[in-house]
Amino acid sequence: MFKQSIPAAILMGLAALSIPAITAIADEVDYTKMTPEELAEYLILETGNPNLEQEVQEGGTARQRMVQDELQKICSVVGGGRPDMETLLEVSKQARETIVYPEDGIKLGDWKRGRDLAWSGFGFRIGHNVDDHDKNDIGGNCYNCHQLGTDRTGGTIGPSLVGFGRIRGTSDAIKEYTYNVIYNSHSAFPCTNMPRFGPSGFLNQQSIADIMAYLLDPESPVNQ
Amino acid sequence: MLAKQEARAAAGEAAKAAIGSFQEPLDVLQGLIDLTSSDYLTQSEQNLMMMPDSPAQWVAMDGETLFSEPRGPNNVSLEECDFGKGPGVLEGAYVELPRYFEDTGKVMDLETRLVHCMVTLQGFSPDDPEVAQRHGSGSDHMKLQTYIASQSSGFAWNLPLDHPMEKALRDAGEVMFYRRAGKADFACSTCHAETGKRIRASVLPNKNIPQEWTKAISWPAFRVGHDHVRSSQHRLMECYWQMRQAGPMPGSDASIALLSYWTDAARGQPAILPDMKR
Repeated sequence: MFKQSIPAAILMGLAALSIPAITAIADEVDYTKMTPEELAEYLILETGNPNLEQEVQEGGTARQRMVQDELQKICSVVGGGRPDMETLLEVSKQARETIVYPEDGIKLGDWKRGRDLAWSGFGFRIGHNVDDHDKNDIGGNCYNCHQLGTDRTGGTIGPSLVGFGRIRGTSDAIKEYTYNVIYNSHSAFPCTNMPRFGPSGFLNQQSIADIMAYLLDPESPVNQ
Repeated sequence: MLAKQEARAAAGEAAKAAIGSFQEPLDVLQGLIDLTSSDYLTQSEQNLMMMPDSPAQWVAMDGETLFSEPRGPNNVSLEECDFGKGPGVLEGAYVELPRYFEDTGKVMDLETRLVHCMVTLQGFSPDDPEVAQRHGSGSDHMKLQTYIASQSSGFAWNLPLDHPMEKALRDAGEVMFYRRAGKADFACSTCHAETGKRIRASVLPNKNIPQEWTKAISWPAFRVGHDHVRSSQHRLMECYWQMRQAGPMPGSDASIALLSYWTDAARGQPAILPDMKR
């Protein structure tokens, strides 16, 4: 009952790649015998979706983006909510270990470029309209979720960062904290909604320095 | 002030009582606004003003003509197509999709079912533009989908979950909704699990508030920023693009799972069809 046949494209793909491990999948699977988690994984990764084979900006294919890493698994709670405190502390600890600092120390870059990057939603989009990183800088998407300057409307998924540097100053401790949160926000806020801009390669050192300047430089509109 | 509140409450109650029979999309939306104080529902006053003259109404009218016209190599109309309530019965059919169809042994959404009927009934090839062209107000697909869905305006979303396949896909869709992945660690729930949150200036709908979620899933809708009527499958594609993830193919079981879950989350609330969105 309720069997689904494996699409021909998968079978052909398997034949071409001849991966013995995957041929262990039965000819038919029964959705109603799988847990919701098993079925979700199967539907996302094993049904021959050609979109998985699209090349992506970081190299390789979109398939590897759809396979969850450890943090993504832990921070996905069906029905909402967050993992328990012990788990969160572990997430935060592991996030701190991912942080790589610039060899010449944390510096503030050009707040004007940082402002453009904070506004830009460009980068790593795939599918029907692929972002070409040769044409534009990869943006930080900051305004999608945060209010920063008061001259543009920002989102509210994250907290308002208006006056970020004016309130906190630019001590080394604040600079390190700001760097950590941009690089891997889970270090301070485990299972936050915020992307990991450092480990994912979304932002490079120069872009992080420029966005930090936008947040911290007294001349930046964020601090006016 | 109190009189105004009472008038609003009365209007809301009346709107609630009307669920289950056809209502104009603006009346449905106005009823929901009277019942709630949702920034998502009220964010565009211009859209509320434009809704009675929505270009989607014209697209639906074109769809009505196409629906009853004998077409395809077999020269038959879609009046023999069964969308779940019997051949040619459209009233209230869309709010009960996706559903399991005995004749295909699959759970299908409106778009998938339409493709099925155009191919098996009318004899079109899956590559013919009538079937393959899924997007844009000028496509047969958007005309037909908008017409068919409009026949459910004011009806309450009522996803059938009696069949084990329907239940399995709905439950997998729930997992997918909360599943973080991709370059930016996003899931559907990143944007759609809290009330009144915004991406830049756009207020986001919360999946947990059925009264606003019904508007979020009311597709086809005229998308003002695109100047086109868009479908549910198109909305999925756009969300996955923003999430930097590989989107499910239209009609795939992965897409049906998500549509089943999002429809279930609006259960009991009246559909706004066709809607108008930013």
